[in-house]
Amino acid sequence: MVEISLMAIGLLVVMLSFGVPLPFCFGGALMFMHLVGGATMKGTMLWGFSQLSNPVLLCIPLFVFAGSIMSESGIAKSLLDFVNIFVGRIRGGLGIVASLSCAIIGAISGSGLTGVAATGPLLIPEMAEKGYPRGYATALVANSSILGLLIPPSVTMIVYGWVTDTSILACFLATVGPGILITFLFGVVNLVMCRNFPLVLDEPKPIAETVRAASSATLLAIPALIMPVIILGGIYGGIMTPTEAAAVAVIYAFPVGFLVYKGLTWEKFFIASKNAATAIGAIMVMIVFSLMLSQMFVMEEIPQALVEGIFSITTDKTLLLILVNVLLFFIGMIVNDITSIILTAPLLLPLMEAIGVSPIHFAAIIGVNTAMGGVTPPYASILYLGVRIGEVEFVDVIKPAMILIVFGYVPVVFLTSFWPQLALYLPSLLGY
Amino acid sequence: MEKQFRYGLTILLSTVALLQFVQVIWRYILQAPLMGLDDVLIYPTLWLYLLGSVNASREDTQIKANVLDVFLKTEQSKLGVRIVADIMTVTVSGWLTTWAWGYFRYAFRVWKETPTIYLPTFYAECALFIGLVFMTLFGLQHLITNIRRFNMLRTKPVTTSLHSASEGSA
Repeated sequence: MVEISLMAIGLLVVMLSFGVPLPFCFGGALMFMHLVGGATMKGTMLWGFSQLSNPVLLCIPLFVFAGSIMSESGIAKSLLDFVNIFVGRIRGGLGIVASLSCAIIGAISGSGLTGVAATGPLLIPEMAEKGYPRGYATALVANSSILGLLIPPSVTMIVYGWVTDTSILACFLATVGPGILITFLFGVVNLVMCRNFPLVLDEPKPIAETVRAASSATLLAIPALIMPVIILGGIYGGIMTPTEAAAVAVIYAFPVGFLVYKGLTWEKFFIASKNAATAIGAIMVMIVFSLMLSQMFVMEEIPQALVEGIFSITTDKTLLLILVNVLLFFIGMIVNDITSIILTAPLLLPLMEAIGVSPIHFAAIIGVNTAMGGVTPPYASILYLGVRIGEVEFVDVIKPAMILIVFGYVPVVFLTSFWPQLALYLPSLLGY
Repeated sequence: MEKQFRYGLTILLSTVALLQFVQVIWRYILQAPLMGLDDVLIYPTLWLYLLGSVNASREDTQIKANVLDVFLKTEQSKLGVRIVADIMTVTVSGWLTTWAWGYFRYAFRVWKETPTIYLPTFYAECALFIGLVFMTLFGLQHLITNIRRFNMLRTKPVTTSLHSASEGSA
């Protein structure tokens, strides 16, 4: 059956390459295992569909919905002005504003796309006007947007926690350390890169005017900054479950979008809701079929066979961690973040546990790798969206994007893998 | 159809958020148990997921990888790959629909009820079969459209782009 499973994975990759929608790629692999391998489908459909009504999963659509509303509400402008108070005056400060704003938006939306969708239209033209090459500005905003997948709440961590039966709250915390480190490294890379750009710096303003602008920006940003407090404070204060916190975030986003920032209109609301619901549907149906395939693998004891197969080659922890990182990197290059997690987490977790990597530590490893996949071609959905928003050629973006990946992501991937405290310190503070 | 999906999906999504919010208010502010809300939630939730996915199939915005497109240069070769992908999509979707039909009949025969307020779950469970039927039909529609475009391309050069090949992520 191992051979049949490997062939099913091969078929899955072929269908992915041809551009078959992901739910049907998983369906095709299921079909192959059933028709060729004789694996039973009886009860699989029942089991898979019943998983959809799990209340834990309900926080995914609600976080996506809250992110969509906030993205349309004009929140980004107030956040950019707020972050600009602290770093806007230094050379290259606007680049740091991009990273920090995306990290804050990540604490609201849980998705990687919201950051670039919300800040890109404002930030990229402004950066270009101030002398940043447009390709670089786009690459920086798109790469920073990935922080949405690392700063809690994170949709990918919800999925990981769900498929591996690990505490979602612990998984949320596991990626915070790597997320903050990436934000810092992007700031450093940006400052180094900016030395070569002909930047136009603002004239210094009188102190009174600066203080007035700073107070006004802070005041305007408060409603937006309250949102992560509600979500994270509610969850970690033990007041609400992640699903309930997500629902409160949606309801809070309404008056903030309509009355405070006034960017949300009924028309925008209906369009944002439809787009969010469509994205949710595509994700959830994909989750059902990928979960069914994953369950079939587990029933056929493929993870155990994989562990035994790999251990027959090597048992060296360092080498295995490097191999797993390379594997996750390549999978992240061809499929999206959620698919990558559903495909690999149940298969690789037994191997990780066998070499002494805890499920929470592995959450951070897989989280950082899949996040990096979102900006690594050929499947670089966030980078492609950035290219569309930045109105720039892909070739102009790819070089700065690679610089940010090599000097921002890759060191953090290795640190996360080989320095467990980076991922485990925060969860350990809360007793995980 | 765009309008129906826009309003229908908005109502479903808002209902799910509102019901969860009501639960929070009841539980944490009024400090009273609210029985049966989870039972009710199942209906808008499952229909939201399936109709959202049907709309993704209608708009051709299901999540895809499109790896081969990177290596293909001409519109004709890209369209050829799209047609192969559409054939695979319709075949697999049709096969899954037959299994969903089995599940539909099972749900109808067993007629399960929700644990707290005994609502029949069939009306939520039938969403899978109905959703897959529509996904298959929209897949078929894209296949026919792309075959027509491919034939047009063979007879005369056209400048229109492919029938979408969008990607998505969480």
